[in-house]
Amino acid sequence: MNGKQIHLDVAACTDKGRVRPINEDSYRISLDQNLFVLSDGMGGAAKGEVASAMAVEAVTRSLRENGADGFPKLFTSYAESSNGTNSLVRAIEMANREIHEHGMRDPGCRGMGSTIVAARISGTRLSLAHVGDSRAYLFRADALQQLTSDHSLVAEQVRHGLMSHQQAAASELQSLLTRALGTEESVSVDADEIELFPGDSLLLCSDGLTRMVPEDEIAAILTQIPSVRIAAERLVSRANEHGGQDNITVIVIRLNKPRSWFAKFIPWCSSNLV
Amino acid sequence: MPVLIVKFEGSVLKKVATNGGSITIGRGPDNSIAIDNLAVSNRHAEIKSEQGGLVVEDLNSLNGTFVNNQRVKRSALKHGDVVSIGKHSIQVDESAHGESPDVHRPAANTKGTPRVDETLVLDTEKRRKMMQDMAAAGERSQITPSRIRVATLVRVKGQIDQAEYQLTGKLTVIGNSEMATIRLRGWFKPKMAAQINRRDDGYYLGRGDKVPTINGNTIGAPALLSDGDLIEVCGVQLRFAIKE
Repeated sequence: MNGKQIHLDVAACTDKGRVRPINEDSYRISLDQNLFVLSDGMGGAAKGEVASAMAVEAVTRSLRENGADGFPKLFTSYAESSNGTNSLVRAIEMANREIHEHGMRDPGCRGMGSTIVAARISGTRLSLAHVGDSRAYLFRADALQQLTSDHSLVAEQVRHGLMSHQQAAASELQSLLTRALGTEESVSVDADEIELFPGDSLLLCSDGLTRMVPEDEIAAILTQIPSVRIAAERLVSRANEHGGQDNITVIVIRLNKPRSWFAKFIPWCSSNLV
Repeated sequence: MPVLIVKFEGSVLKKVATNGGSITIGRGPDNSIAIDNLAVSNRHAEIKSEQGGLVVEDLNSLNGTFVNNQRVKRSALKHGDVVSIGKHSIQVDESAHGESPDVHRPAANTKGTPRVDETLVLDTEKRRKMMQDMAAAGERSQITPSRIRVATLVRVKGQIDQAEYQLTGKLTVIGNSEMATIRLRGWFKPKMAAQINRRDDGYYLGRGDKVPTINGNTIGAPALLSDGDLIEVCGVQLRFAIKE
């Protein structure tokens, strides 16, 4: 495990938008685990808000209870990933089972489902896992790098060369997911891990942001606004100004640059410099 | 007058009639043929009528203009010629005299598919069927899962640990960091010199602590890589290869 501890600034913001009657998005920030989870519930009548709340709660709880290595062996393990990343995948697989079973038991919740994107930072390593079309972006060198591939029909068509990026963004079929949490007994989770550097920011968001606000505008907001809280609020208010067609949730995480050596020695100096 | 047929990945995007005037091609929306793709320069190329025939001229674009796969500065065009700009192609059709130009909807917006506001999840069966329908509505050929391609970077010159790298991850870092995929050797090399983001539509090269070049041109925003591009950063040269 990397011993270097990076200081994080974190803020989240959520809003039901301008069209939907309720907010079916959920998120959970667990600072003691450096864990960030966001979920977008699906299906108006079928209790999307129940599914998304269960998803973030189940992932946070099972990671806290089981730690990195304590999971039952029956779940998937990716040989090339670290234990930290695998435990994230397993926690999502367990959440899937929980939501699916709840849907089978309670007739009012039958067929409910959600997306999920979960990020955990340990040292300088970012572990990332997701299902559905909620995204994680890395904001580095003033540019957004998309770290997740949507599990949606249009994204799948772009990957197969059937459609351009621009056509996908204009498509009327963007809401068709190819994978979701809770709708089937088991789910395939995508996982990745990357190294983070001081000054990086991470953005987790539901599609209510990315379908409304163009990426260059998201990048401009993250460049121009140093406060994570104000940046998160601005992203949500921009999505509403662009139409607010869906619920919007964002989590912004910024890795602070370490203070320079002389600022450490002369504390009063740092407040003027930073 | 001849008609220009604009295609992307085999699907016809639109047809443009030549009427004796100049037709500009570029990323900016003010072009006659606007192509919103980072591989295309703002003012990329121009097609005009000269002495009864069509001529294409490259307007000092970053990634070049190609006629029948040959890079050109300026070239006369005849029936059947294909002008390639980024991943888009423009075919010259002189047989279509008199036909009024019409705009075809891309394959994605096939008629009969419902508008969907509510998020839905497709089961495996439905999804396979929809993919097949979409494929059939577009081009019948070349649509197989093998179209999802993994690119490689091949060392041309410089001190790095391997001769070839597969770009399987979402983010590939070039630098001297321990976790960098392409590890630069040397004391003063930056931890993260440049990075490559694998997105749905291809691989984008972005800067890190250094600004890399593609084919000798310094990049600004993250730029879409094409097969054969030469990337240079910190004295290391790498060839980007993506097999069709």
